[in-house]
Parts: sequence; C-alpha cells; structure tokens
Amino acid sequence: MKKAALYVTLALGLSALSVSYAADPAFPKAEAGKKVTLEVWSWVPGLDKTVASFTKAYPDINIKILNLGGGPATYTKLQTALKAGSGAPDVAQIEYGFLPSFADTGGLADLSKYGAGDYKKYFVPWTWGQVSPEGKAVYAIPQDTGPFAMVYRSDVLTKYGVTVPKTWAQYASAASAVNQKSAGKVKLGNFYATFAPWFMALAWADGGQFFKRDGDGWVQTLNNASAKKVLNYWNDMIKKGDVSTIGAFSADYWNATGAGTVASNFEAAWGPGGYAGSMKDKSAGLWRAAALPQWTAGSAIKSGNWGGSSNVVTTQSKNPKEATLFALWLNLSGTAITENWNNGGLFPASSAGLGLPALNDTSKNPSKFFGGQNISAVYAQASKGVNVNFQWAPWFPFANDNYNKQIDLMIKGKLTPDQALDAWQAETLANAKKEGYTVR
Amino acid sequence: MTANTAVPVTAQAASPRPKSRRAGRATPWFFLAPFLAAFVAFFIAPVGYAVYLSLFIKKRVGVGPAREVFGGLSNYVRAFQDSDFLQSLAHILLFGVVQIPLMLLLATAMALILDAAKGSASKFFRTAFYLPYTVPSVIAGLLWGYLYSKNLSPFNQISGLKTDFLSSQLILFSIGNIVTWTWTGYNMITLYAALQNVPTDIYEAARIDGASNWQLARYVKLPLLRPTLTLTTIFSIIGTMQIFSEPFVLRPLGYVPDNITPNTYLYLTVARDSNFGYGAALAVLLAVFTLLLSGFFLRFAAEEGNT
Repeated sequence: MKKAALYVTLALGLSALSVSYAADPAFPKAEAGKKVTLEVWSWVPGLDKTVASFTKAYPDINIKILNLGGGPATYTKLQTALKAGSGAPDVAQIEYGFLPSFADTGGLADLSKYGAGDYKKYFVPWTWGQVSPEGKAVYAIPQDTGPFAMVYRSDVLTKYGVTVPKTWAQYASAASAVNQKSAGKVKLGNFYATFAPWFMALAWADGGQFFKRDGDGWVQTLNNASAKKVLNYWNDMIKKGDVSTIGAFSADYWNATGAGTVASNFEAAWGPGGYAGSMKDKSAGLWRAAALPQWTAGSAIKSGNWGGSSNVVTTQSKNPKEATLFALWLNLSGTAITENWNNGGLFPASSAGLGLPALNDTSKNPSKFFGGQNISAVYAQASKGVNVNFQWAPWFPFANDNYNKQIDLMIKGKLTPDQALDAWQAETLANAKKEGYTVR
Repeated sequence: MTANTAVPVTAQAASPRPKSRRAGRATPWFFLAPFLAAFVAFFIAPVGYAVYLSLFIKKRVGVGPAREVFGGLSNYVRAFQDSDFLQSLAHILLFGVVQIPLMLLLATAMALILDAAKGSASKFFRTAFYLPYTVPSVIAGLLWGYLYSKNLSPFNQISGLKTDFLSSQLILFSIGNIVTWTWTGYNMITLYAALQNVPTDIYEAARIDGASNWQLARYVKLPLLRPTLTLTTIFSIIGTMQIFSEPFVLRPLGYVPDNITPNTYLYLTVARDSNFGYGAALAVLLAVFTLLLSGFFLRFAAEEGNT
C-alpha cells in the first residue's frame, strides 16, 4: 500500500516535472529535411551540453560552438568580422549595454522579421526593452539578467551587532559602526571603482536614466540627479574610510571577502555563483542575500541591473530563421534554462524560467554557499523591481572606460562626485559627437 | 664615368646571345618571387589597406547605422587635435627616455661582467638573465599583475608599505619595470654575442700594454660594442613605440588610462569604438613617428661616431 502511494507521488511528481517542461512556448517550426549548421559564439560555460539537447529535438540543425572568452574578447572579433563582411557567426552572445553599439554597425539582423516579436510576452518585461529599444526592430533574444541584490556575511554582521540594512541611511550608519568597532580592519562595503555598470545599476534602481532615444537622436544624461545622489553617497563613505575600493574579481577582493574584511556588497544575479566558485571553502555557508537597500523606508523594492546578455543573429547568417529558432529555444525552453543555470549560473530572462525547480534547489551552489537560502527567490523579486525603460547608447563602451578615469580622479580627491559626473558627461558627449552621433 | 660605361660593355661581352640575357635577368626575380609574394601579400598590402582605410570617416544620419564615406585627410587632422592621442605620445616619450637608457645600461654592464667572468657560473647567469625574455609578454603581465596587487604584493608585505603599483601615478613605472625585466636579458645576449666576436688578440695586445680589467672594458670593449649598442637602441625605440600587451593585461586589475601608450589608444579606437578609419590613421602616424625617431637617433649616433 505504502509502496503504491509512493509510486503515485513519484508519478505525480514526474508529471508535474514534465508539465513544467511542456510549458515551453511553441517554437517556430524548423524546415523539414533542410540540413543546416549554425555557428554560435558564446562564453556560457557548458553550453555544449545544452546544445546536445537541442540537436536531439532538432536533428537537422547542427550547432558549432566557439568560446572566444567573455565580453571584450568576443566583441573585438565580432566587430572585425562584421566590418570585414565575412567570418561572423550565425548567433553571438552580447551584453545588453553593448547591443546598441553592435546594432550601430548594421551587422545585426532584425529578428522581428523571423517572428521574434511574438515571444515578447514570455520574457521578464524590462529585458524586452533592452533588445528592442524602439519597440519595433528586435536586435536580440534576451538570455540572462543581472538584477541587483545585497550579499552579506551574516557572521560578520552579527559580530558587530549590525542588522541587515533596509535603507541606504541604515547601510551608511552600519558601515560607520563596523569601521569603528573593528578599528578600521573590517569594512561593511566595497566600491567597485572600475565598473561603470555596477554604479549605473545602483542609480538605475533609483530611477536614473543615462541614455535615451529622442526622435532622430539621443539624449545623454550621465550626470543625472540619481547618479549624483548615489555617487555622493558612496564618496562620503569612501572618504570616511567606511568602505574599501578593491577592484572587482581581483585576488585582493576574494581574499578580503573570504577573510571577512569586506562584509557585504551589491551583486547581480550572476554574482553569487562567482562568490561560490572563487572563495570555495572560505566563508562557505556564511553568506546571505537580501533585497537592495532603498532610499525611502518601506517603499516597494526597486532594483537595477548589471550585465546579463542576449543572443543576436548577424546579417551574415545564411540561415537566420534557424538561428532565431535556436536563440529562442536556448532562452525559453525549460531544458536549456535548467542546463544554463546548472552549468553557467545564468539567471534567466524568461519569466517562466524564474520558477524552474533547478533555480530554487537550495542544496546546490550558489544557494548552498549562501547557507541554503533560496537566493533565486531574492533575485526574482529584484528582477520584478527593475525599471523597464532603461536604455543604452551605441557609444556606451567609450563611456564605460571614461568612467574609470573620472572616478580615479574623484578617489584621489581631485574632483568632487558632481564634478566627476559632469566631466564624464562632457567628455563622453564630446567623443560621441566626434564619432558623428546626433546627441545632446 | 668610365666605370659606368664599362659595365654594359663587359656585360654584353659576357653574354652574346640576347635571349639568354633576358633569362639571366629573370633568374633573380624567379628566386625572389616567393619572398616578394609574401612581402607584398603580408606587408605592402596591409599597409596599403590601412592607408586606404584611414581616408574614410563615419557618417551618420539620425540613429541608423553609420555609413563610411571618403573623408580625405580629416582623420589625420583629428589626430593632431586629439589631446588624448598627443598625450599618449608624451607618455611613451617619457617612458622611452627613462626606460631605454636604464635597460641598456643594465644590459651592457651584465654583458661586460659575463664576458669578463668565464666559467660555469657565467653560463648559469647567462641563462638566468635571458630567461625572462622567453616568458610571453601576456604571461609576464599576468604574473606581475599579481605581484603588483596592493594587498597581496610580496613587495608590500616585505616593506610593510601599502604601495598601489597599479595606481595611475605609478602605472607607467610599473609597466617600465615589466619591460625592463623582460628585455634586459635579450639585449644583454645581443651585446654579449658581439663581445664574443671580438678577436682575442686585441685583448692580448691591451693586456700586454698593461690595461686593467676596468680599462679593458672602458677603452677596448665599450668602443667595440658601439655598433651593437646603436642596433639595440634602435630596436628598443621601435619596441617601446609598440608597447601594448603589458598595459592591456593590467587594465582589468585597476584603472589604466586608455591612452597609456599610443597602441592601447588606437586599439581601443578600433576594437571598442569600432572606428576603423581613425584607428588606421593613428597607426599610420605611429609608424611615421617611429621611423622619424629611429632616423633621428641614427643620425645622432653617426654624428657622435664622427667626432
């Protein structure tokens, strides 16, 4: 009897599982009997395993993956191939912030021609604004996202008698308390001085807009009110020594977080995987995640986004229909989202994907590293609080580097935060105009 | 005059049949062909293409993709008005003026010491000094990147200081240190090899005249090293103008200015801002500057040699 009951539960469980798989949207049909090979440039770890499932479902489409390394490494080669007019892949991975600069080369196919517009409803709303800024042409299919949340060392906070800050005012006073009680040895936070998107995500959460399409041109407001508010806030803490300024992803940084001398930070949804992978045993189980502190107490959780990427189809592709199909499948099918989460820690842009069992499995990393807390739930909530209308400009890559220059001057005390942002705005604007953009 | 007229006469006498003379003229070209084909395909053509590219500018209307239109010399005009580019040249000039003499002084001293001290220790040091050159510059950059990291650097741990070697004030010196570490051994080997080619009877003659080790080095070896020193200096000038991988590898570790060297600046113009025309113009200018600098130095070295 008991056994039978067990079988029933098992069967129910299995069918529930297959239901979630069957919930995949209907993908465009592949042309029967047409054998094609698609070349895909992506730096998602373990993508070959995901692709094996795709080829099983679509035996006529052969996928060739090339991992050229993350971000800049792939971009350089892609820019060159698009310029050369040959050698570009069918599908490529590009981060949201860099999409407009590639659309600007004219090398990206408009996927609305291949029916991509019908799939808008399956994605977390703000991600569609990233791939289709004007709401007409669709330049890419959203892949993963990086909504912002706070990660912190629960043991260090307890040691210094600090409760998890819910507002930025609480965060600042907690930072000063930790700094004083530890005689300057432990910092509550850390300012990533060379990652503009990290800072922009914090301003984004406050409603900051840096670029906006305006008729036949652009409006750039790198020195917007939210940006000034956020940078002044951080500069105050930097000057007081309440937060450190260690470079992101550096050996120094992992050493400090592992040792507990940096006790919290603001990380995108793909961040915790990096924490688990980089610190391994050090401080494992001691981390927790919480919603981003807010500017006003008790307000609905608002967040920003750092990174996350999309899949584009190039105009050089001879099989753009099949390429679009692959990009849709890769980012909407339950199988692919599960694989990409397990192998690469990709936090899905698909709305249904956020509820998949694999994401909420707390017995595995990154949740395991976070003491078994379901951190996906924290990030899913953050994702809902991301401003939908945020836009980027084609010259963002320049702005991205110029930010480092201004912040360097600010940290040295040569510029105030307002001056740094004004200089960032002025120098980037001048360069964009030199490059021929209509911008004010 | 007489020699000039004499040549064709003897040539005609040596080859009476015009047909074979034509074949004789073709022969060198035949043997040169493989080299010339490669030279044209891999050197002349890319340079020509770069010059061609540098004449185009990006034209945009509204928010659509850019069109490339012929812009004449406007990219070159822009370069001379581009304070970031001019600053990158100033950076590299400062770098060269400090680093090249220092490196060559070290290399010369090491070569002279190795040449004076024979034996197995000399062999060991010869290899040891040369070893850094065999490390690819990207790997060297990564290794030094760790050694420069503010909180983990062994230099900081030993000295007890908190020097940020990657800060924008020190970065040029930090790069200079990597370059010196890499290339001193290479230059030393070149100089050492030149010393090995000096006939030993010159040294014997000097010894018989009562020259000390120091006098031998100062008045015999150094003057003999002169042509090799000129060569290594020219190579160092060219190499300095081309510095790229060290600053580029250090970039993710901290704030390294875009225009720390002309090459990083023009790389970013192309790879980041996808302005191939402007990047090509900068590359052409950089080649011309390198040529001018090398030319000036050769002239200077020749004049010094005459006095």
